[in-house]
Formats: sequence, C-alpha cells, structure tokens
Amino acid sequence: MSAPGQPKQPNRLAQAGLVDRSRPLSFRFDGAHYSGFAGDTLASALLAAGVRLVGRSFKYHRPRGVLTAGSEEPNALVELRGGARREPNTRATVAELYEGLDARSQNRWPSLALDVGAINSLFAPIFVAGFYYKTFMWPAALWEKLYEPAIRRAAGLGRASREPDPDSYEKAHAFCDVLIIGAGPAGLAAGLAAARSAARVILCDEDFLLGGRLNSERHEIDGRSGSAWTREVEAELRAHPEVRILRRTTVFGVYDGGMSGTHTFAALERVSDHLSIPPQHQPRQRVWRIIAKRSVLASGAVERPIVFGGNDRPGVMMASAVRSYVNRFGVIPGRRAALFTTSDDGWKTALDLAAAGVPLAAVIDARSVVLPQLIDAVKRSDTRVFCGAQVVDAHGSRALERITVEDGGRRSQIQIDALAVSGGWNPNVALCTHLGGRPRWSDAIAAFVPGDVPRGMSVVGAAAGSFSLAAALREGAAAGAEAARATGFATVDVPEPRVTDELTAVQPFWCVSGTRSKAFVDFQHDVTREDVALAAREGFRSVELLKRYTTLGMATDQGKTSSINGHAIMAALTERTIPELGTTTSRPPYTPVAIAALAGNHRGTHFKPTRLTSGHAWAQERGATFMEAGDWLRAQWFAAPGETDWLKIVTREVKAVRSSVGVCDVSTLGKIDIQGPDAAALLDRVYINLFSTLPIGKVRYGLMLREDGLVLDDGTSAHLAANHYLMSTTTANAAKVMRHLEHARQVLWPELDVQMISVTEQWAQYAIAGPNSRRLLERLLGSALDVSNAAFPYLGCAQFSWRGVPARLFRISFSGELAYELAIPARYGDAAIRAIMSAGEEFGITPYGIEALGAMRIEKGHVTGNELNGTTTAADLGMGRMMSTKKDFIGRVLAQRPGLVDANRPVLVGIRPTDRSVRLYAGAHFLTLGSEVSLENDQGYVTSAAFSPMLGHWIGLGLLVRGRERLGERIRTHSPTRGGDTEVEVSASVFFDPEGARLHS
Amino acid sequence: MTDETLTAHSAFAGLAFSSAPYRGVRVAARDELAIATVLVRKGRLATLTQRIRERFGIELPHGPRRAAAGALAFAGIGPHAWLASSEEHGHGFARLLEEAVGDAASVADQTSGYAILRMSGPKLRETLAKVLPLDLHPRSFAPGDVASTIASHVGATLWRLADADDAPVFEIAVFRSLAGSFWHTLTDSAAEFGFVREREIS
Repeated sequence: MSAPGQPKQPNRLAQAGLVDRSRPLSFRFDGAHYSGFAGDTLASALLAAGVRLVGRSFKYHRPRGVLTAGSEEPNALVELRGGARREPNTRATVAELYEGLDARSQNRWPSLALDVGAINSLFAPIFVAGFYYKTFMWPAALWEKLYEPAIRRAAGLGRASREPDPDSYEKAHAFCDVLIIGAGPAGLAAGLAAARSAARVILCDEDFLLGGRLNSERHEIDGRSGSAWTREVEAELRAHPEVRILRRTTVFGVYDGGMSGTHTFAALERVSDHLSIPPQHQPRQRVWRIIAKRSVLASGAVERPIVFGGNDRPGVMMASAVRSYVNRFGVIPGRRAALFTTSDDGWKTALDLAAAGVPLAAVIDARSVVLPQLIDAVKRSDTRVFCGAQVVDAHGSRALERITVEDGGRRSQIQIDALAVSGGWNPNVALCTHLGGRPRWSDAIAAFVPGDVPRGMSVVGAAAGSFSLAAALREGAAAGAEAARATGFATVDVPEPRVTDELTAVQPFWCVSGTRSKAFVDFQHDVTREDVALAAREGFRSVELLKRYTTLGMATDQGKTSSINGHAIMAALTERTIPELGTTTSRPPYTPVAIAALAGNHRGTHFKPTRLTSGHAWAQERGATFMEAGDWLRAQWFAAPGETDWLKIVTREVKAVRSSVGVCDVSTLGKIDIQGPDAAALLDRVYINLFSTLPIGKVRYGLMLREDGLVLDDGTSAHLAANHYLMSTTTANAAKVMRHLEHARQVLWPELDVQMISVTEQWAQYAIAGPNSRRLLERLLGSALDVSNAAFPYLGCAQFSWRGVPARLFRISFSGELAYELAIPARYGDAAIRAIMSAGEEFGITPYGIEALGAMRIEKGHVTGNELNGTTTAADLGMGRMMSTKKDFIGRVLAQRPGLVDANRPVLVGIRPTDRSVRLYAGAHFLTLGSEVSLENDQGYVTSAAFSPMLGHWIGLGLLVRGRERLGERIRTHSPTRGGDTEVEVSASVFFDPEGARLHS
Repeated sequence: MTDETLTAHSAFAGLAFSSAPYRGVRVAARDELAIATVLVRKGRLATLTQRIRERFGIELPHGPRRAAAGALAFAGIGPHAWLASSEEHGHGFARLLEEAVGDAASVADQTSGYAILRMSGPKLRETLAKVLPLDLHPRSFAPGDVASTIASHVGATLWRLADADDAPVFEIAVFRSLAGSFWHTLTDSAAEFGFVREREIS
C-alpha cells in the first residue's frame, strides 16, 4: 500500500491504524529512499518498508532490529539528521516521521549489512563482564594510548556532531494544582476528573498522540474504540481554560520534596524534534520546571523480554509492540509469526495478528496451565499451541528465520520471521523513587510496584500494577478527583465507563536454559545471561555490584527492559528471592535529556549575566580591551591606534597618570549606604580601626576581619552627613561584605539602629589621578565645589550639585598620586566621562585600565585581592598596628591565636630582580639561594608582579617568612612552569614615593 | 569650559532584538520613574506609616504588596523595606522622601540604580514563565502584588499593575548594570510571540 510514485510499503496494511494516509512522507535510512505516513515513527515506517535490520550492537556488533514501540527501546538507535544537527542514539521508536527525515544506522563499518566489527563475536570469551579490568591491566602506560582509543572505536554508540548546535533551547516554569504524568486511559480519566473541578491541570505525555495503550489495543469504551474515546476526552480537556496539555513531553525527574505535597517536576518538551528544522524563533526543545501541588502518576508499564538464545535477532519483538505496530500504525511485523508468552496479556497479540491476517505459526506459553478460552480463540486458525513449553533459540543470520521450541523434552523447529515475546509487565515506578522511595515487590504481578510514594503523588493504572483497562479508568478518575479536592476544588462524580473485559494473569518466567547461544539480558550493553552468571561466580552478587561489573542497566535506556530480568537471574543463581535481592535505584532523568536543553538560552556569552558600567560604551569607543571581574567587564587597557603591545600601552598609561592626569572607571567597586543613629557603632565593630572619631566630610581607610581573625576585605568609608556613611568595598568582595554586614546587623547586634543598602548600581564613579587632577576638576566642576587643597584636603569628601545633578567627590588615591573619585548617578555616567575627557583635553588626559591601576598600586605597595586572599592577617600585611585596642571588633580575639601571631609567618615584602632585565611572575615561590626545591624549603610566594614604568624594571609583592627582618637579603623565586629560578632582592613593599608626598600635593 | 547640562542615558538604549512579527509582548522603558529605597528605623514603623499616610495619602503596605496614590507608590521588598517610586520629582524624590519621613526611616536614591521596564501584552505571562520562577496566574498574583525574585540569574523586583486592553501589565526592576543581560533573556523569551518596543529608548 503506497501512494503512486512513492517507494513501496510492503508491510503496510490496507486499512488499519491511526496514520494519515493522505499525507505520505518520504525519508532516507542509510541513504536509501523510503516512504511512510504522517503519524508514523521512524521505526513503524522502516517496518512498513520491510526494513528489519536497523543497527549493530554495542560490543559484539550483532545485528539488531526494532524491539519495542516506545521510549524504552534498547536496540533501534540511529543517528538522526546531519551536519551540525547530527543527533546520535535517537530511538527510532519515538522519532516522529517528517518529510525528508534522514537517519543512519550506527556502530557499523563499512555498512550495516557487512560489519567488520562483528568479528568481536568470535572473541566473545574475552569480552565478558569485567573484561576492561582483567584484560588491559598491564602495562598501564598503554591504557591511554592504545587500549582506550581502540576500545572506544570498536565499542560504542552514535557520534555527536562536533559543530556548534545551530538551534535554540529554552527553559520555562509552570505551576498547577494537579500534574498528570501520562495520558493513557488512567491519565485521561484523572485529567477529566480534575479538569471538571476547574483546578489548574497540566497533562503531560511523551507521545505525540494522547491515549497511550488505547491507540495500540482493540479496546472499547462506552461502545467506542479506545482511540475515538481518547479524541473526545482530549477535545473536552482542550476546552477547559485551566488545562494545559503538553504532548511530546517527558516528565523526567521529581525534585524538592515538601511536607505540603508540592513538588517540582522537570519535563522535556520536544517542541521541534518532529520537524526537520525548528521554525524561526522556536526552540528545538524546552525544559519545563513544573511546580505541582498534587500529582497523578499514570506512566504505564513496560513489557519485559524473556531471556533465550538469540533473543536479540531482528524480528524478535515485544508482544505489545507488535500490537502497536499492527493496530496503531497498520504495519505487520512479518509474514509468518509466533508468540512466546508467560502471560494472558500476550495472547492478545496472537488474536490481533490473526485479525490482521498474519499467519500465526505457533503460540508457546511457558505456563503449563492456560485458560481454555485463550487456546480456543487461536485454535480456530492453523496455529500450534504449546503450553509449558519454551523457545530455546532464535536463528537467522541478519534477521529471524526460525525458532527452536522445546516442549516436554521434544524440540521442534518452526520457520517464522516474526516472534512476539511477552514476559509480563513492569510498572513504570521510576518517578516514585526519585525522592528516595523504594518500590515494593508484588507476587501477584511478579513485578515491582510503587512502595513509598512522594507525598502528594498518587500512582494509578498500569504504573500501580493495575493492568486492566477498567481499573485504569477507575483509579485515574478517583485520583484526579482526590487531587483536585486536596487543592481546594469541588468535584463532580463521573459515571464509570463500560469497557471490554481483560485477562491479566501472569506467571514469572525469566530465562530459558538449555542453549549455548547468546541469550541477552541487556540488549543495549550486550550483557548476556553468561555475564550475570560470571558476576555471581566471582562474587559480585548485590544488584549494585552486578550493575557496575556487567554494565547491566547502565546504557541510555537505563535498563528499562533488562534490569529486572538480570536481577531475577541473579536471584535464582544465588538462591534468593527478587525482593531479597532488591533493585537498583533509579535517578533522573527518566529518559536521556540533551545538555543543551538543560542550558536553555544560557550559552556562549550568555552563559552567565554580564554587568556593564555606564561608561562601557565610551570605553569601547576608546578601544578598550575588557576583562572579566566577577560578572563585570572592566577596561584592562586602552590601545591607541597602532598600539599592539599591551605592556607598552600600560607603561604609557602609567607614565601619563604620574606625569599629568588620567581617568579610570571605578564604578564596579562595592558601595554600601549605611545610615542610622548606630551607623558609626557598626563601623567600629566591623573594621579593625576606629570610625566613630571620623568627622563629617572625611574618608578613612579601613580593614575588616572575618570572625576567624583573617582579613576579609579592605576599603574606605566616608562620613557623608550625620548618621550617614558610605562604605566602599573591593569589586570582588562587594556581595560578601554586604552579607557580612547584614549578618552583623541582623544576628550579632539586632539592637543596633542601623540600616544599610547597596548603592553600587546607583553611582558611576571615576578615579581622576595625577598631578594635574586638581586643575582638571577646577575646570570640570567650576563653582560647584571648591577643590583647593585648603578647602578639600587629602581624605576629604563632599556631596554637592553639579550641572543640576547630585554628585559626590572623594579625595582618595589608589595610584599614590594626587587623586579624586567623582561619583554621579549612573544614568549620567556616560555624559560625565565625556565631560571629564573634555575638561582634561588640555592636560592630555589619558584613560587607563586596571592593568595600569595594578602596576601603580604595586609601585605603592597597596594590597588587593592577591594579598587579601583569605590566608593573611592584618599583621602579615603590615597593618597590625591599625588594630585598635580601644574597642572590640569582629575577628579581634581569634586574630590573637598562636598560629596567627607566629613570628615565622610569611609577611608582605617587596622584591626586585637583581638582574633588572628579568621578568617576575606572580605565583612563584621563595627559596633561599642554593637550597633544594622542596616543600620543606619553601619560604613563601610572590602574590603580585608588574613592570614598574617609574623604576624601569619588574617589581613584585610577596609573602616571605620573617620578611620584615630580611630587607636587602638576596633570595630566589622559583616557578616550575614560568621563568624558572630568578634571583631577587627583598625590599620594603613601597617602591615609589614612600613618603606619600604626591598624595598631599 | 561652559556649564553644560549632563544628558541621561537609558540603561536599555541601543539594545537589539529579533522577533516574530506579532504584538505578543510590548515593553517601554520607565526611565522617568524616580526610585528610592526606604528602610524603617528601629521601632519607628508606626511613625513611618503615619507620616507616609499624612504626607502622601498612602497606606504603607506590609508584605509584598504595592500601594499607590497619584504619582507615588510604595512596594514592599523585604521586612521593613520598601521601593518607593514617583512619576515626578526626578532626583529630587529622595530628598522629598527624606523630608517626609524624617528620622523614622533611612532613604537612599536609587533612581539610577534600577533599570525598569513596563511590560504588557496578551503573551506576557507565557513570556515571563521563561524568565521568572513565579506563578503569575491571575489567581496567584493580583494587581498590586510584588515579588523580589530572580530573572534568569538576574535579581529582579516585579509588581503587577491593573490590566490594560484585556492584557496583564507588569513592571520589573533590575540592577542597571544587568539591563543588557535581562533584555537578552526577555527578548529571546518573547521572540516567538512577537516583541514590540513601544517607544524609542535613548
């Protein structure tokens, strides 16, 4: 059945299915052209086209086909799309078909049909569980160079694109009263009950079609087909204004447990994966963070395979998947089929295959006693029925050709090309366990069912182990109504629908013995029954050890079809029950989630927020090179046209400042507005030195300690007005100091009447430094403020109005020059820097960046983050005498600990290379001349180094053991990575203008 | 040198965006809004409340609510802390407030510290769902409600105004230096619904 001109679809039924036959779609697989219909998955379209071999296995390169029709698929993994959009390990069973879809099989070379890697099968004895650990032990040096690359080439899944992802991703939040996970019969019934109460409802399903198994079974609800009932329910739900339906959306994790029952759920919506390219302004995928007061888990169940020889041959398929392909997609799995089951449910497949006209060669039920009505139903056709029998082997080269059936000691061969397998169902309990709940074993259904469920969550239908349709509808409706009531909504009773009866009995049967061929437990990781047995023999008997030793359940499918079979085999081998053995913990995500989706739009330069000063645009115009300082961008230096050597630029900037005047944007420094009658008292308690004596109109340098006595930060505080101070902090520590002060105010001394708020963002601030800075300010400020030395001395501050705008001026200096800092509201920051430049034109004003600032502060021996690094005391930095003895302050007591007052502590010194042409490097360690390079001989290290334009050679600051007693001594710096050994001379830490004459000029 | 006036620049000036050609979300920069923080002094809440009531006719809100009268509004942003705003007064607003509250509170001018957008449009809630971790459903966030929150890693203060043209209206304040990062997140999130800048921002 196919449209004219389209490639044939030999296995497509003429009528059945929910695909849209009016919309044929063409696609390619491994370069060959095929055709399917809208509503197909890649897997259903390939099966319709008669393609059975779709991939090669991970380790042995065995031919593999489609096993399932859902997200649990372990085998049919393909590379989807090409180029930058290449997407490895895509499950063909959930990849929605679109026009022009292009997919390739993976892990094969040179081609899928002829795969050289399949030779691995011949060496299978050495590829057993734990072979990594056993085979490649020695010599260890070969591990990185030879073993690992070779293994990685031979084993593995698809290849990711190495190009940047051209598509966008985003994150979003949603809030609801009731979240319903899964839109099968139970989820839809829950949705209806909750929606009719007017509660806010979100209904998520991973499929592109709501309905779950209703689309795949020949159920009747109130006289309609299951899929027709689904469309009616969907239409009603869509009409409710407070209902949001998220199709193609997998809830993959449960987080943030709360006593109230509210939880945060993470869900991945595949917004554009069903299109070849996302439409403009649409993301490819969206991660939802759903905050739900109540949740109903209706995630269904996964049918489990049976472990027998050759159970991985293409053509061996889960019985429920066969029904999906026949009923939902109108695709038959083969031309002559058989069923191997251990449950009543599996028999449905026999009936559906017969109804679809597929000859059914045999039904093999592992149970000795089978209900006669089941047998009668298939006996009408030409089908052989075996009870208490087993399929021991499946044969075929690239796909299934024949099975061996063992029935009471007799073996018979049956020619078939499709084998449906049903080993019973495992409820999808993963989301019940993400918050630590353990599932509980149910003998009735021979599977784990929800045990401790997160508060506020109810589990219904197949997910709860209730496998009949009637139970799913009943439990769903009850849970939906209960969830709505729990969140404060009144519900109405909905009559229970009339549905078809079902038989759901199952008898556990895990593994067939009596064959030497490979019997797979974990298809995706090629873990066989023998591997589990080996683990048992070697003592790896707990489920967690079994998992790590054999990699059972560790692949991208996380053992959805395999874990329980592996555990059952281990339990039998070690003579324990499955509940005694336990099960492994399942963690988010439930199905694979692309990292890009988790990143959302935080990629590239938007990885984190960027803070820009109001002078940023001006600095850009001036050719600034920027560097990151926390989230801020700061100008590192300003290259004039033609300048390329950064050191020459910085040297020019420093010389310009020291000879005339320069300007630097210091807006990023933290500014904290502190007010209230006890403001001065707070400052006294957080700084080591006294502030209550500071007159209005003056600024003081201050140092604050952590509670443990080490230095926290330094900065200045200005006394602006009565009960009003402005504290400045370093850029890096602004937030930390604010927290520190808030802790002091709220926790340590709540009795103080003091208020504080960050005003960092309110003020743009420019340092104007150099001998001509006062003359510049006279021109700039005019009559707004008298800046003469007498009226505005060193460490003065003032608030005034300048050109109609409130402004502040501080006479403080980090460069060691006559210097001021001018602050104006940030919206005028751009205008202000342009006004400063204009006023400074006649003095040749030079903008300078933080490298020049750094060089000047090292020349002056001023400390910064390099020295205030969390390991230094005030005394280490030469500021021990600043510690007031007249008052208490944070850190005072612990600063007196023996370790912190040890005379052997490294303390701040200056260094200069004895050979003045040599460069110094921060981070190099101090050693005495001639001593061995060893930790025992370590004497401290260089904290800061810069080329001094004024001295004409490199200088440095460092922390040297007993440094203040060693001025003039020659030692060496040693850096194993940069510069090697350099002989240096210890000096005072102030290199330039030690008397500070320039500050006061 | 002449005593020229200084020109103010919007934190949102010159920021680009790209969007679908709809009118799902409309924004306008609120550069004319004067802003100040008001922190009550110890034990002076009653006095402060009374002074605000007498001077401005506003009942100082307790908790995350906003109260407005005439050109002025007070939004609760923390225990005993408010963001006061005025459509008038410019940089004189903080001084005006200081005089009104006297020794009952500490006032700091923040007019330049925050970059504020007024946002509206039929797709605003869908857009903000991508930006803010808040439930902005009409049942949960009423006109006058305030939240101090995080807008995609950027600290933000949000308040809801009365609806206009059957669509919600919110204002959001972020630190000025982060205006560009916030703009990127907002315009990116609104792109599929259509983003409209209501007037040129200088």
